[in-house]
This record gives sequence, structure tokens and C-alpha cells, in this order.
Amino acid sequence: MIKMNNINKVYQTEMVQTHALRDFNLEVEQGEFIAVTGPSGSGKTTFLNIAGMLEPFSSGTYELDGIDVGKLNDNQRADLRNQKIGFIFQGFNLIPDLNLYENVEVPLRYRGIKSAERRKRIERCLELVGLGARAKHLPQQLSGGQQQRVAIARALAGEPRFLLADEPTGNLDSLMARQVMEILEEINREGATIVMVTHDPELARRAPRNIQVVDGQLADFSLYQGAPNKEQTAGDIAARAAEA
Amino acid sequence: MLELKPMINALLRSKIGAVLLLIQVAITLAIVSNAAFMISDRLTYLNQETGYDEEAIFSLSVSTFDPSINLVQQYAQDERDLRAIDGVIDAAMTNWMPLSGSGSSSSMHLVPNPEIGTGVRAAYFTTNEHMLNTLGAKLIEGRNFYPEEVVHADNYDKLPNTTIVTKDFAEELYPDGSALGKVLYQGEDAVEIIGIIDTIKGPWLNDSRPANVVIFPFNLSQPRAGFLVRTEPGKRAQVMAKVEELLLKSESRRVFYGIEGLDESKASYLARDTLVMRMLVVLIVVLVLVTALGIFGLTLFNISKRTKQIGTRRALGARKSAIVRYFLIENFLVAGLGLLIGAALAVLLGQQLMKVFSLPSLSFTFVLASAVFMLIMSLVAAWGPALRAAKVAPSIATRSI
Amino acid sequence: MLWYYVDLSWRSFKRTPLVSALMVIAIAIGIGITMTTLSVYHMMSADPIPSKSEQLFALQLQTMDEGEGWFTKDDIPYQLTFKDAQRLMTDAKGDAQAAMVRTGFAVHLGDESNAPKLMDARATGRDFFSMFNAQFIHGGPWSQSDEDNAVNKVVLERSLSEELFGETNPVGKTVFLDKFLFEVVGVIEPVTEHTKYYDLNNGSFKRPERVFYPFSLVKELEIGTWGNSNGWKREMVTTFKQRLDSEIVWIQYWVQLDSPESKANYEQYLKGYIQEQQKIGRFARKEPKYSLRDVNQWMEYNEVVSEDNKILVLLSFMFLAVCLANILGLLLAKFMRRAPEVGVRRALGASKTQVFFQHLVEVGLLGLFGGLLGILLAQLCLWGVRESYSYYSALAKMDFLMLASAPIIAIVACILAGLLPAWQVCRTNPAYYLKTQ
Repeated sequence: MIKMNNINKVYQTEMVQTHALRDFNLEVEQGEFIAVTGPSGSGKTTFLNIAGMLEPFSSGTYELDGIDVGKLNDNQRADLRNQKIGFIFQGFNLIPDLNLYENVEVPLRYRGIKSAERRKRIERCLELVGLGARAKHLPQQLSGGQQQRVAIARALAGEPRFLLADEPTGNLDSLMARQVMEILEEINREGATIVMVTHDPELARRAPRNIQVVDGQLADFSLYQGAPNKEQTAGDIAARAAEA
Repeated sequence: MLELKPMINALLRSKIGAVLLLIQVAITLAIVSNAAFMISDRLTYLNQETGYDEEAIFSLSVSTFDPSINLVQQYAQDERDLRAIDGVIDAAMTNWMPLSGSGSSSSMHLVPNPEIGTGVRAAYFTTNEHMLNTLGAKLIEGRNFYPEEVVHADNYDKLPNTTIVTKDFAEELYPDGSALGKVLYQGEDAVEIIGIIDTIKGPWLNDSRPANVVIFPFNLSQPRAGFLVRTEPGKRAQVMAKVEELLLKSESRRVFYGIEGLDESKASYLARDTLVMRMLVVLIVVLVLVTALGIFGLTLFNISKRTKQIGTRRALGARKSAIVRYFLIENFLVAGLGLLIGAALAVLLGQQLMKVFSLPSLSFTFVLASAVFMLIMSLVAAWGPALRAAKVAPSIATRSI
Repeated sequence: MLWYYVDLSWRSFKRTPLVSALMVIAIAIGIGITMTTLSVYHMMSADPIPSKSEQLFALQLQTMDEGEGWFTKDDIPYQLTFKDAQRLMTDAKGDAQAAMVRTGFAVHLGDESNAPKLMDARATGRDFFSMFNAQFIHGGPWSQSDEDNAVNKVVLERSLSEELFGETNPVGKTVFLDKFLFEVVGVIEPVTEHTKYYDLNNGSFKRPERVFYPFSLVKELEIGTWGNSNGWKREMVTTFKQRLDSEIVWIQYWVQLDSPESKANYEQYLKGYIQEQQKIGRFARKEPKYSLRDVNQWMEYNEVVSEDNKILVLLSFMFLAVCLANILGLLLAKFMRRAPEVGVRRALGASKTQVFFQHLVEVGLLGLFGGLLGILLAQLCLWGVRESYSYYSALAKMDFLMLASAPIIAIVACILAGLLPAWQVCRTNPAYYLKTQ
């Protein structure tokens, strides 16, 4: 699904060039749940932004579902993002003026989905994260964990094939963090591919596949204790899909 | 002491905000200084001295439609009736009213036609010996008309041979000596200057020589005529209210109209210029307010973009006063540059306006004064946002969005 | 999608009511001032008779001797001599023609019922009414034979007819103009609305006369002008007869020429007339000029729109520009503060184009509100204008075109001012605002 080949990302300022990503290679298969770890400034977020087409890359190729992202213009990228990708942020990034219903509605609006269909989906997604009764509330009336659940509902509303999560539990206490993680695992079981950037080794360990970014490059994951290897993960997913 | 260099760098980086402010200040200065200049030009014109006690004098006109009436006698009777009214100081018949915008003018020459000599144009009144007293005109040299000099007629068969002129006219005609006793020619007809009066304005204030006025002792009685009446202070309104009825009582086959105070005549003559001046004033006031608003908005914008930076500065030990000073000086730099460009623009605009329209050339004092004013205004407008910037908590620097 | 944008814009206004109100007020002030000066300008310069303005021509003849100049731009007097006007009327070579002069009378019924009232009256030809689209309520113009034989017939404007005779049809009744008894033959609506284009010598925006009578009566009754008389020649003029025969210009002349051929023919006729007059010593110059200006050219030539009005329009548009620069600054501030939200929307799949249009819609809406408020402000300003200068009372008004263009100008101006801020906000890197540390 995701195929990144020799991706480089260079930030150019007046004085210095910073290599955020260096010959970055990664393949992600349908249905995987990957945790991305790495020290601060290693390029995790840059990787996620490029994966979500929020930032252009300097060189290399990136294929998403067989589509060469480098050849798309901004509007095509926006459409692709809208249809295939859901974002979850550390800071939740809910729009403060919009109530929960309207926040979840945003991606559906941009997809041009009819009102009745929107309603069905939004209600289903809010139900899924356990906030169906609070659709009319504003984000500031919710706790952090609830806000993050709304953000997840919003990410799911467009029925994306990919969920990109940037420290989704970073601003939450451990109880709430666990709840959010459970929801993500549930979504993954239902077939969505998840890429999650995290600092938390405990959370990372719960993901079937771990990768580590160091100095803008993918470190050898096999060095990582307790990480399942790629083949096993794919096999697990296949087995689970068969069960379901 | 001042962090000018980093400030300029910061300005150069946040180009849009600064450039916008600059443009705005420049355009505003160009408009304000030109408009202020036009206003002052107009004010001089609107407030010019007329030489009359405008509140004490009023005019009325008559149109007589029955040809059987003996006009010479009737008008003499009317003058007597007017003077008999309680509160009236004097009254005189005249062909035209001062400050009204309607009148007659003619060229007066030093030699008779057809010889070609110096000619000076003047508005003229045909009236009688009561005119000077009615107008309140001050005799500087010579004398008033004798009653027997005044020609009372309803035609041009006999013309007067004396005249009283304003000192403005006398000086233009005889720059090097007294005009008293000199002879003037209107065509072939000669008149002697027997008196010179202090400045009074004729019918047209917008004339290039509004005070060129000559008075002839010629009580020309035609179907349409006018009277000027001077009243005691405070009694004009009551006199004006009853004058029409009174005169109609003596002869009803005529119509009185245009009964209005000299100040009213002047106001309606100047109404258009007054209007334009008012519009210019409104324009300037609102424009300055709007510009102040703009400076306010842009400073807010600049600050909101740099909230984090301000927090960092504060965290690093900058005092509130330093932050305020920083933004005020930054504003001063931008506004100052804008004003420099604006001054050039103002002069250019002034030149263009002068080319296209009949305006005098813009005096630079106005540009300077407007610029100083706008500089102060820009600092005042930036003051609020700068204070607000100083209130940014140092902790902002460490907080996420 | 448009409604979604409108909804978002409305929320945005509610979120920052102060800044939004400031912007709306800034636009409203700019539009208000601009529309005030523009409305006056528009009314002044508007074609007063669009259906016929290209067929009606003001005629001028250069009667002065060689070497004599005039104070007009092209050295041709505004008005004609009586003898030229009379001859042209007699020849009647145009499709319609009207010599005319502004005069005035004490108007009364000859009894005690009404006090005599002094008012303007126009002596003119019977074609005047058809030429200038005068609408008759009762009766019609006087007949050609009345005109030829100088019969005392008069056409009144409705308001005057009602003052004198009440609501009844006055045709056939009589009225005194000074001491002369006239028979009323028709009643009309006012000939012009605001610009008295057929007589620009005596105040371009005065109300039209309310009394009209045959031009031939000027000679018959020896009626003097209430307008301007100008002479260039030294000649003895003390009697009315001498005035009629003199070179003094005091008669206005309009001719209607329906087609280019008819205009060409008329010019041919004028040239012939001038040559004929040259034989008896008049038009004593090498190439005596004549001029036929249609209504709009005539207004232009007479500078109906004064310099002051043009300056004010110019200044007020510059003023609008300053208001827009302001709005631009405020919009930048407002939009940039929203960059994080835009980042989220972009991440959720909004394209740059969608973000750009969302903001343009918001700006357009601001313009709409500003424009509407601007109309109110302009009405207030125009009221001020009417109050301080009654001469403009018919002019300082907004017609439908101006009312409609105010919001359009406001919206277009705002969108122009909003392009840069909208562009700024849509091209910001969404990732920048989504970062969390």
C-alpha cells in the first residue's frame, strides 16, 4: 500500500541544509499496524507528513495504493488524502468553533457527500468512539481523551484505508491512552492500516510491527527487542481477516 | 542601545504587513495633505471680509407688471415708506444686490472710446445718495453724492456724470496717486470720481477682483428693481416680516420677491463651495480614522504573528517597556518611511491636480504638517497593540499551540 | 459547497465580532463616501434623454467679425442673435426645431383669488414639447398658426395648473402673465428631472420652467430676457427693436435631426445661410464656424459636471483604496490566526482551491454587508448634501443603477483586497501548524 523508495527531505534555510529524511525506504502492506519510534528530531513527523502528503519530498518515489504521489498536483493530492487517509494528532486539532458533529463532518464535506449519507456516517463514527450522545457539544466541553476519540471518529468518517497517527496519546494520561489504543486496535482489526508515531515504548510494543527512525533513516527493526518480524505480522493479519 | 538591526531584519522578513502599512500611510498622507490644502484655500475664500454688516442689511426685489404705473414716483414713495418703518436706518434703490451672484459689470477707461487706453473692469451699482449709508460703506476721500446729482429716470436719455469707487478699484486704476477728481470713461460717457470708499465686495465673490465696485448716482426706475435696507441691530427680522405687505398696500399691481438678508444671500451664493468644503472635511476626518484603524490592525497582525517570539523575549528577561518600545519604534520606522514616500506622492498628486483642475499649487507646509500629525496618530494607534504585546506571558514561549 | 462556505463565514464573523464589525464599517465608510460622490457625478453626467440624445442638437453660430474672440473653448457663442434664430425657425429645415429664451412674468388670474407670483417662463417653438418628450396631461401644444400669428397661448406645468385651477382641466381658461391675458392650451408634466439640459446657461440643475408660450410673442409683446445677453459689436441699442436687429446673442436654439442624412442636409443649409449672410456683411470672417452638438456633447461642452465633483470622485476612490488597504491588513491578521484550523482542514482533505474559495466567500460576504451598510451611509451623506445645498436636491440621490452597483463595487473591491490574504492562508504549509511540540 505504501511504497517509499529512497525518499529524501531537505529543509533549506539561508545558512544550512537539514536532511530530515535520508534515502528513506519503507513498504507498508494492507492491514498492518505499525508503530514508528525514534528520538526527537529523527524525522518521524516528517515521515508522517510525507506519508500523509502534507509536505512534498525532495527526491525519491512514493506510491500510495499504486499511485505515484510525486506526479500529482495539489488538488489531486488533497482528493487522495481526503479519500484514503485519516489523521490523528497529538494535539487533537479539533476545530474549536464546530461541535463534535460538525468536526466529524469536515472531511465528508470536502468529499461532497450528500447530507443524509453524512449524517449516517457521522452518527456511526461517534457511536463507535462512544460519544454518540454528545454530538452537539463543543470540543472544549470534553476531556482530552474524549477529544482524541472525536478526532479518531473524524479520521474514520471518511472510511480511509490509512490512519496516520502522530503521538495520539501524547497528551493523555495512561488510562485514557489505553482506551484510545484499544479503539485503534479495534479499527485495525476491522481492516484499516495504521501508522502510529509514538514515544511510548509500551504502546509501541502493543503494535504488531515496530520501526525506528534514526537520523532520517529506517533503523534495523530486528535489533528491537520483542518486535515481531514483518512476515509474521502479515500472517497474523491474514489469519485475523479470515476469522472475521 | 536599540535593537535596530534585528528589528529591520524582522521587518524585511514580515514584508507584507510592513509594506501594507507603508502604502497606506503614504496614500493617506498624499490625500490628506492635498485635501487639507484645498480646505484651507476654500476657507480663505469662504471667510473673506465683505465690508458689510451682513446681519443688519437685507434686500428685496420687485417686479411691476402694470405699465400704467409711474415707476419713478412709485419707487421714490417706496423708499420713503421703507425708511419710515420702525427700526430701519436707511434704504436705497439699486439695480443689483451685493454678494448675490447677479450683477452688471463694465470696463472703465482712462480715455474715451474709440481711443484705446487702460481699462479696468468693475461691477457697478446704479443707485442714489442713500446707498453709502445703507451699505455702511466708509468714505475715505471725497464726498457722498448730492441729492441733486442723482438722475431719476426710467430710461437712459440722461446719464450721471459723477461716481464713487472703492479704494481697490481706485488703486488699480491709479496705482501712483489719488484717483479723486479724475475722470473715467464708459464708452464715450465721462464721469468724475468724487468719492473713494473703503473695500466692499460686489456681486461676485469668486471674481478675480471682487472688490472692484463703482457706484453711479442713477436711480434707474425699471419694472424690475431692488431695494437694500439697513436696520438697527436685532430688528431686521421684524422689518423683513412686514415689508412686503406694507409696500403692496401702496401699490398692489406688482410682485415682491427675494426678501433675504445679506448673510443669507452670501450663504446661498457660497453654498456650493461650503458643500465641497464640508465633504472634504468629512473625507479627511474619516480617512484619518480609517488609517488609524489600519495601523491598529496591522500592528495587531504583526504581533499575533510573533506572539511566541515576544514570549521568548520576555522569558529571556525583556521588560514590558522594552516590548512596547520595540513595537512603537518598529511602527515609527514603517510610518516614517511611508510618510517620506507619501510626501513625494502628495507633491505629485498636487501637481497632477493642478494640471487637470484649476487649483493653486500645493504648499509644502501642508505636507509637513499633515506628516507630523499622521506620525503622532500612527504612534497613538500602535500604542494599544504594543501594550497588548507586552502582556504576552513569558510562558507562551514554552507552550505548544 | 457554497452554502458550507457561507455557513463557515458566518461562524467566523460570530467568532470575531469586533474585527468583523470593524471591517464591515471600514468597507461601509469607503463605499458610503464613494457612492455619495459617484451618485452626484452619475446624476450630473447621466444622459437626460437617452432615447433622443443623439438626435437633438444645440446650434451655435460664429457671428463675430474676424479678430473677435469669445470666452468659449472654440470661440463660438453659446447663444444666437434674435434675427438668426427667427430666420432659422422660419426656414424650418430640421426635422423639428425650437428657438427659446428664458423670460419671466408675474403670473396671476387677474382677480384677488391668487397673489401674483413671479416665475420663470420659456418662450419657445411648438416643436419644443415633442423634441424634449414633454408629456401632456391635458390639451397639447399651441398650433402652428398660433405660433405664426403670435397668439397669446400658454402651456402650464401640472403643479402650476393645480395651484391656479385646482384639479380641473384648465384648457380653455385664461391666465395673466404680467398684464397680458393668455389662453391655456395644455398641461404637462415637468420637462426634465434633474438636469435642465435644454438651457445650461442659467443653472444646469434648476427646475424646468412651469410656463411655456410661443416664441413669436417675444417680438410681438417686447419681452426681455431673464437669461444672459452678450455682445461683441459696438452698436446703438436702446430700444427693443434695436435689440432684435442687433448682434447681441441671447436666444438658444435646438434642432432635431433624425438621421445622418438629415444632419448632412442641415449642415449644407447652414453653410448656405452663412454664405448668404456674408453677402450682407455679417459673419465677416474667413471661415465662420457653426456647431451642432448633441445633448451629451452639449453637456460636456458646458461643463455640467464641475471640477469639484470630479476631484471629489477621484479623492473618494483613493479613499476607498485606503479603506481596502486597511481591510487587507485586518484580513491578513484574521486569516493568519486561523492557519492552524486551515492546517487541519487541509490534512482532512481540503484542497488549496477549496480553502482559497472558502476565504473568498467570507470576504465577499463582508463586502456584501459593507456594501449594504454603505448604501445607508451614502443615503445619510446624500441627505446632508441635499440639506446643505438645495440646488442639488434633485441630484443628490441614488438611482437604481447606483443602488445596485454599491454592493457590487463593495464585493469586487473586497475580493480584490481578500485575494492576497486568502492566497497567503491557503498556501501555508499545513504540516507546520499540526506539529505538536
